[in-house]
Amino acid sequence: MIENWLISRRALVFTGAALATQRTSAGTPIIRFGLTPVFLSNDIELLDQLRDFLARHTGMSVVLVQRRTYEEITSLLLSSQLTAAWICGYPYVAYHDQLELVATPLWQGQPLYRSYLIGAAGRSASTINELAGDTHAFSDPNSNSGYLVTQAALARLRRRPEEFFRRTFFTYGHRNVVRAVASGLAQSGSVDGYVWEVISELEPELSKQTRIVAQSELLGFPPIACAAKAKLSPEVHALKRALLGMANDREGARVLRLLRLDGFADAPASTFDGIAEKLSQVRNFG
Amino acid sequence: MNRFAMPEWAHPTLWPVSAKVPALVVAFMIAVSATITNGVLSRLVETQNRHLTQLSGAYLDGLSSALLPHLMRDDVWEVYDVLERAAQRYKGLAIDWTTVTDASGTVIASSQPHRFPLQSQLPEDVLRYVATGTELAIVEVQGLASLKRDLSYQGRSIGTIFAQVRIGSLMDERREVLKTLVLTNALLTIVLAAIAYALIRRMLRPLRTLSQHMREGATGNVLQISDQALPRPHSEFGRLFRRYNSLVAAVSERERLLGRLADEKRLAALGRLASGMAHEINNPLGGMLNTLDALKRHGEREHVRQTSTRLLEQGLTGIRDVVRAALATYRQDREMRSLAKSDLDDLSLLLRPEVSRRNLVLNWSVDVEEPIVLRVADVRGSTLNILLNACAASPVGATITFSARASNGRLEVTVEDEGVGLPDEVLDYLRSPGGIEGPAEERGGLGLWMVKRYVSECGGAIDAHRRSPRGSSICLTIPGVAQKEQAPCRLQVA
Repeated sequence: MIENWLISRRALVFTGAALATQRTSAGTPIIRFGLTPVFLSNDIELLDQLRDFLARHTGMSVVLVQRRTYEEITSLLLSSQLTAAWICGYPYVAYHDQLELVATPLWQGQPLYRSYLIGAAGRSASTINELAGDTHAFSDPNSNSGYLVTQAALARLRRRPEEFFRRTFFTYGHRNVVRAVASGLAQSGSVDGYVWEVISELEPELSKQTRIVAQSELLGFPPIACAAKAKLSPEVHALKRALLGMANDREGARVLRLLRLDGFADAPASTFDGIAEKLSQVRNFG
Repeated sequence: MNRFAMPEWAHPTLWPVSAKVPALVVAFMIAVSATITNGVLSRLVETQNRHLTQLSGAYLDGLSSALLPHLMRDDVWEVYDVLERAAQRYKGLAIDWTTVTDASGTVIASSQPHRFPLQSQLPEDVLRYVATGTELAIVEVQGLASLKRDLSYQGRSIGTIFAQVRIGSLMDERREVLKTLVLTNALLTIVLAAIAYALIRRMLRPLRTLSQHMREGATGNVLQISDQALPRPHSEFGRLFRRYNSLVAAVSERERLLGRLADEKRLAALGRLASGMAHEINNPLGGMLNTLDALKRHGEREHVRQTSTRLLEQGLTGIRDVVRAALATYRQDREMRSLAKSDLDDLSLLLRPEVSRRNLVLNWSVDVEEPIVLRVADVRGSTLNILLNACAASPVGATITFSARASNGRLEVTVEDEGVGLPDEVLDYLRSPGGIEGPAEERGGLGLWMVKRYVSECGGAIDAHRRSPRGSSICLTIPGVAQKEQAPCRLQVA
């Protein structure tokens, strides 16, 4: 479903050209995108719309590459096998010296979002301390909202996830975190606030089985990044132009409405300072 | 329970054929239905179990291959996700829950996480119904089937899949099939029983007609079946009815001949009686005429006049007695009255011509001091018949013994002769039960038939046998009216 695609957005990665420019047999440059989640057919249909938009507005051929985890996508990006990728703020901060921002999505008018700690709907907990001993679901070990934020919060408490919680596991998808908590597989979870809000709008029967225990401060929204050495390539340039002009295009606006985003902005690197601070807290705790 | 105290309907042997045949159809159909139902249900259960085994096997096979890599990595979410997706793919299996444990039995993930939390052990109440030795165990009482599949990699056990499947729909299907079979068979049985009843009623209709005619015939009104009621000539009942009509015609003809024979016999007996009476009257008449002649010639003498008057009186008295006995014997008197000694003694007068003609000796003994009420005319007629037969059967100069005695409310009349003895067919006739069918010459003729009919009607008995060295003895036992109920009709034949 379209909604599934939307809420799996973090797992969806599109990439820009990085390495030596690849071309089709007809000589048209290729922009390589990677997509990790398992899509349903109609998700693919939506991705086709997105690909068509990008192809039309870049004048280049667009290829989607799917992988399951952020780590795999980040690795492909760092090794210049992808032109660009919609990654999480956490790998961007972790590899900021090797990556360059292409564009940052605008949600509710700004390139920021929050991380949520969620629990079962009937639960009364309101702080992370009350989640001690839970079976906790994380999204991805390279996710800011789905792992780093909670890890940093525990680091401030001088605790580690594996000993604070009775059991942790990764679902490799924010929607999966919500499903895990809703089903009772996990008693609590760390989830992207943007994804949870979109689920509340599109799948209220799922989100109603959970409730927000705690929210993080505003942090940089997962950006689209490219390898630093490819930032001046025509593929990245064309991609950036297409994304930044997306909100002004009828076809692009339709895709943005489906994504529940307002558009893309050329946000500064400082947007992700909050994430960098959390990474620092974790690293300092050891 | 005493079967004789049971109502008539409780004895199937007493049921009419029109009820027996439908009852047999019902019993047969119930037996067939039970057999078919059992067969169908057994086959259904077998098929359902085979399908369940195949489907659950496919489910476990699919799960096993999908779960193995995730289980080896202890990937909780992927294990759960596989279970979720599999539950949607195998909707035909009505999976209640599926739980995967590691090699130590700790829950890795379950499709019902609230019931089987992570890192918990499977509860005992669940394990009780989970198969231990086989992959599939069906617990029909709960409408559940339990599945189990051990997962191993390179010979090492890495976990187990447990699942519970609701098979209530299979049970419902069985119940539906059973209900349908029972209803269908019941309907079929009712329809077939109704058809059998209607057919048997129709088939037996001619028999009822025949039975009605025979019932009426038993009451004496023997009638032929009308032409309108006759079935086709070549049908089974058509032939039977025509044979019956032929039989009725023969019986009617026989009755007619019997009546004529009886009239002839009666006339013959009357002639014999008239002859005897004429003889009895003629004998004194000769003396009386001689006496009258003596009176005419010597009537002036006192001695002659007195002697003649006495002789005339004796002669007239004898004639009067003979006439009176004849009147008493042959008048149509069916009334009951008390038997008098003279009623039997008179019979000797009627016998006298035969006795004299054959020079027989008659031993006569009558003892009816005890009052007894009966149809005197019939007693006299019957006794006279036997006596006349005895006279006819006796050789010249033989002795006939007659005795009559009333005691214990019954009259016993015995006649013994010295003839050649009663023939076997006559003894058989007298010994046969009932025996009031028409007479035949070889069975002793009309006289014995009339005797036996009277004795049967009054509830009496006949004791007849040959005497040694020769002769016969016939004893009639006739109950008085007051004794009739206590003296059931019995026929004693020696």
